[in-house]
Amino acid sequence: MISMYLTGNSWLHRTPAGLKLLLVAVASLLLFQVTSPWVFLPCLTVVVGLYATLGREGLAQLKLLRGLTVFFGILLLLHWVSGTLLEGFAVILRLIVLVLAANLVSVTTRMDDMLEAVMPLFKPLEWFGYSARKPALGVALVLRFAPHMMQIFSRLREAYQSRSGSRNSWRLLPPLAIQCLRMSDNVADALRARGGSEGLSDR
Amino acid sequence: MAFWPKKKNHDRNRICDPAAIPYAEFHGVGLSIGSRKVLSGLTLSLKEDRVGVIGLNGSGKSTFVRMLNGLRQPDCGSLKLFGALAEAAAPELPRHVGFVFQNPDHQAIFPTVEEEIAFGLTQLGVARDESRKRALDFLTQHNCEALAPLPIAELSEGQKQLVCILSVLVMEPRLLVLDEPMTSLDALASRRIGDKLRSLPQKIVMVSHDLSHLEGFDRVLWLEDGGIRMDGAPFEVLPAFRADIDRRSGVKLELAAL
Repeated sequence: MISMYLTGNSWLHRTPAGLKLLLVAVASLLLFQVTSPWVFLPCLTVVVGLYATLGREGLAQLKLLRGLTVFFGILLLLHWVSGTLLEGFAVILRLIVLVLAANLVSVTTRMDDMLEAVMPLFKPLEWFGYSARKPALGVALVLRFAPHMMQIFSRLREAYQSRSGSRNSWRLLPPLAIQCLRMSDNVADALRARGGSEGLSDR
Repeated sequence: MAFWPKKKNHDRNRICDPAAIPYAEFHGVGLSIGSRKVLSGLTLSLKEDRVGVIGLNGSGKSTFVRMLNGLRQPDCGSLKLFGALAEAAAPELPRHVGFVFQNPDHQAIFPTVEEEIAFGLTQLGVARDESRKRALDFLTQHNCEALAPLPIAELSEGQKQLVCILSVLVMEPRLLVLDEPMTSLDALASRRIGDKLRSLPQKIVMVSHDLSHLEGFDRVLWLEDGGIRMDGAPFEVLPAFRADIDRRSGVKLELAAL
């Protein structure tokens, strides 16, 4: 769901990270007050329009919804079973708008800007002597390594498929977990080799 | 109190002497992981500009070089790095010893090249805007300014490894330790990275399976079963190592050596 940063210098790239995050936060608060599916359609148009301003690469980002179709299908099915189909559409439209908006921020914001923007949220930790840098770095690492974990999974799947013929199996989960843990060990070493999460500053 | 964090970093005194020669002194050093003895009875000191480390898989090479940067601590014997005992020096070592890992995908922490380079500077206490500017200057200095805005995931393997090396060099270490940096590179990229390394003013300790990279080095250590099998100039050690490989591969399939 979290896509890679799109290289570029569009007006969305130049908008401050804090402002973008704030807008998404406010929009999600507002959208959760709304239940009519008719309100979401114009919202959707606006978000898709924003992607269009990034050009073809921006519109290609919309493909990320494909990965969520199963999830949306299940949601819709549940609502249909409980007799609230229209509400189901509203829920899904709201999710689509919010996911697209959040993704728009993550593809147009450099990670260190994002870090700078979320740091104040962790500032209160410093009153108690904890480092605000640590959780912020944690957020950064999640963003960096989520795509890499997907890559590990697809490599495992290829290895499995090449010898079994079938694509998916629950059997892939334990090796995935082990490989991810191993990767995180390596990443931890690499971080430590450059001074760890605390940094090396004497000041 | 357990959950009250200790005050760190700020009142730490520097204990290493970056100009110390030898920069590493091993005396009877051993290290076990679980019940397995990975290294034992190592006694040697390093002062050369270029030191190569060779040996088969599992001979203890990676653990050996990790000790140089404080990533692993010996559990017996004494190890001095830049004149200070390794354990006490550990928090300060990343400042003096840069470490480049085998797999660039495990080393690059940030999504874009510029951020990755700037990270080393912010680690040293440089303010963010300043670090970004200096990262760009540094990339320009190394003729890599075109890479700056690119996502690391989209680089070629050679470019990735170059970025990893630069992200460590920007911290201006005295010693650069590389653990099989050429493994994932094609022949040309491997040659280019080799040339780059040769041009650096830093002292270098490098693990390599490609012996040709070590020909011009000052000293080569051949590790076997956690100890030194041979230690000397490349023209002595490399042929002996090659001969040993030929001898062992010629006889019969030794499962233990695979």
